[in-house]
Amino acid sequence: MSKILRRIHMYLALFLTPWVLMYTISTFMMNHREWFQHLWGKGQPGWTPERTAEFRGQFPDNAAPREKARILLTALDMDGTFNVQQQGNEHGPFAVIRQHPANERRVTLNPETSKVTIERREFRWNHFFERFHRRRGYQHDYLTEDFWAASVDFFVLAMVFWVLSGLWLWWELKVTRVLGAAALLSGIAIFLIFLRTT
Amino acid sequence: MTLQHLNRRLHLYLALSLSPWFLMYGVSSYVFSHPAYFQELDKSKGPLWTKVLERDYDVPVPQGDLRPLGAQIMKDAGLSGAFGAYRQGPNQINVYVYTFLQSTQAKYFLDKKKLVVEDRRFRFDQFLTGMHAKGGFEQDRIQDTLWGIVVDLVCLGFILWIVTGLVMWWSLPSTRGWGWVALLGGVASFALFMFRL
Repeated sequence: MSKILRRIHMYLALFLTPWVLMYTISTFMMNHREWFQHLWGKGQPGWTPERTAEFRGQFPDNAAPREKARILLTALDMDGTFNVQQQGNEHGPFAVIRQHPANERRVTLNPETSKVTIERREFRWNHFFERFHRRRGYQHDYLTEDFWAASVDFFVLAMVFWVLSGLWLWWELKVTRVLGAAALLSGIAIFLIFLRTT
Repeated sequence: MTLQHLNRRLHLYLALSLSPWFLMYGVSSYVFSHPAYFQELDKSKGPLWTKVLERDYDVPVPQGDLRPLGAQIMKDAGLSGAFGAYRQGPNQINVYVYTFLQSTQAKYFLDKKKLVVEDRRFRFDQFLTGMHAKGGFEQDRIQDTLWGIVVDLVCLGFILWIVTGLVMWWSLPSTRGWGWVALLGGVASFALFMFRL
């Protein structure tokens, strides 16, 4: 039993190392947000023009902005998670933000000229990590997003498992019980003090 | 004590002392991932905010940073805790006051010259997400700064777990084969997500 627990504890940790690293780096960057903003710039990163294209497709009558956005992205071979900003009335220009942790793009369509402008978000490490950190949930329409959300849930389960199996493995090592109990209880005590005072 | 021994003990004691944070970040991440579920659970429990104060109020509003105004509103309303001040609309300034166990918002209506203070009902899911999201060094209170330092220590703890864990894995030659499979499988899956999301 003990050996199996040790092996699962270890192989799970090896598999999830990239997730642990990403969450650690992003947490550190968010904890020191002002410092990193000072280093790399404040506010949202700007947009750099990438290319222009012509949209030859058609939208169904009375199509909702999200429906139009999906048709546009599919036509440009850029389908994936997005949000959409309609400017003015339903016939006015609209912009689609194609979300991506590393390579976010803005696609703007002018329906009068059918001209599409594609811009790339300036890359900043702190934004990249923060976007990745915040990406979760099953609210998107894309299977890859669901898989990512499932991987986040799996990571959560692994964290709980690491704590529980770690406690089990610690208790088996009789020589470490006293110092281990001191470490555990002092951690809990400090946590509770923060809970009461912060 | 050998280096190997030291490495094992560091891995163990670090994990034991930081386990409350580890558990809190884990469980609260689940709440972040399933907001609709927790929203539904809370639906039947009545209004989230309860008015505790309403009074006439008239103070000048600065053009730039709203934090000094937020501090003044808190002082005038008898509130304490970490806070943020922001403009809710052209005629409304909100001050959000947060402690782990209690949240309050003060709404200053500029056109009506009114100050309204509301307490938020305790919700366990929001308690967890509030703890998860708390960090940084912008607040003036010492306990908030200390929490920010602890968040840094937890980050350092994660890095040390990775390093000491890798050393322990490498020192067990019989696990190297499957260990490589797990590690490279994780890196490949993560890279795939990074490019396909």
